[in-house]
Amino acid sequence: MNLRANSHRYWFTPETAEQLALVRVVSYGLLFAIYLPLDDRGWTQVSPVFWMPISLFHMLPGPPRDPALIGVLQILWKASLLASAIGFVSRLSMVTAAALGYFLLGLPDCFGKIHHLDGFPVLLLCILALSRAADALSVDRALRGDRAMRTNVSWDYRWPVRLAQTLFLLVFFAAGYAKLRNGGLAWMTAANMRSIWLGELFTHTPPTRLGSFLAQSKWLTQFAAVATVIVELSALPALFARRLRVLTLVGLLGLQTCIALMLGVYFTPHLVGYALFLPWEGYYTKLFRSRILI
Amino acid sequence: MPKHPLRFASLAIAGFLAITGFDIATGLEHWPFGSYPMYSTIYPEQISWLRLYGVTDRGEIPLRGERDFAPFDEARLIVALQRLQSAPGGNQKLDDALRNLMRLYNRRRPLRALRLYSVSWALRPGLQGSEPPANRTLIAQVAADDAEAGR
Repeated sequence: MNLRANSHRYWFTPETAEQLALVRVVSYGLLFAIYLPLDDRGWTQVSPVFWMPISLFHMLPGPPRDPALIGVLQILWKASLLASAIGFVSRLSMVTAAALGYFLLGLPDCFGKIHHLDGFPVLLLCILALSRAADALSVDRALRGDRAMRTNVSWDYRWPVRLAQTLFLLVFFAAGYAKLRNGGLAWMTAANMRSIWLGELFTHTPPTRLGSFLAQSKWLTQFAAVATVIVELSALPALFARRLRVLTLVGLLGLQTCIALMLGVYFTPHLVGYALFLPWEGYYTKLFRSRILI
Repeated sequence: MPKHPLRFASLAIAGFLAITGFDIATGLEHWPFGSYPMYSTIYPEQISWLRLYGVTDRGEIPLRGERDFAPFDEARLIVALQRLQSAPGGNQKLDDALRNLMRLYNRRRPLRALRLYSVSWALRPGLQGSEPPANRTLIAQVAADDAEAGR
């Protein structure tokens, strides 16, 4: 089979409308729960001397100064996430969620440092806004009394999830590749890993002293350094090999859990990326059937 | 609905992948895309960092980003201060930044002054993170009157 056919199969194998709709429900629902405590109003009190805009924020004349405006935008954004999850006024809700998500999640990164936690959720919001994710399991459909789409199958329901999965795995490949480009093979030494673990005790606020404890073992630090790079780099071949994908995702989740415990860096928004790989339609069918049997 | 849905989907895929690939290959950042360079450099066995101390009636107390200077967290605050320090006109910018930080802190209880130090530790197994720095050099400071004047 040639490359073109393989590529077409990868992106456009027909999928049910329900599968994409379930990804919509789970993704927006999770993002709503994760970002419910988000409050950007404090940034209006920070001096313009700290303003170091990124990406499209360069188009703004300066940092926003009106906390009431930010407060309203936050309420609108969270409402749009919820509306998108249930599929209410879907197209408008999903576009609003993407546009305001870009602004509200990008705003803190304009004050000195990009935290690489919120980039992927914004990409996911943009992809879903371009998709037909509300063709099934939506309030809009129910209000129109149209249930025909529930069993519809199309390539249109495949590519958005595939693209989001691909970008999620490329996040980790990028991190592994950056280590080799910036640090070379020396990054994978016990001494480097030990310095990272111990240094973070002073520059962050880790919830445990696990880094201090494990840094005493040269064998463990050496293993962790090599394993980190291998697991991250395996994200690229995992795009194409299903069995490797499962192993890689489990490894990456373990890696991010260790980072949270040892370094105090919480990649909570990435939970929505892991959720993309779960068979939601299977769970839904099982739940639906068991309810019918009851 | 787009007029040519397959072409639209293909263009969307190509666009997202092109920017992602470009950032990975070049190491540049076009947020929300990125090259994810965190922790990618070689870490020396001595760590240097900036740290803020507040001056109270009882002397100096170490201050932390997330606890004392919300909405900043420690990593973002210190990297921002490092960037201001190395920017053209860095001294003036650091003074302005410290005045603003003092106002952010004073929402809790007033300080007499705010000091920014460069601090360092020699990293060796057994450290707990609570040890005082081995070296400390004053970089900048503002007094309470300065912060009020800059309001």
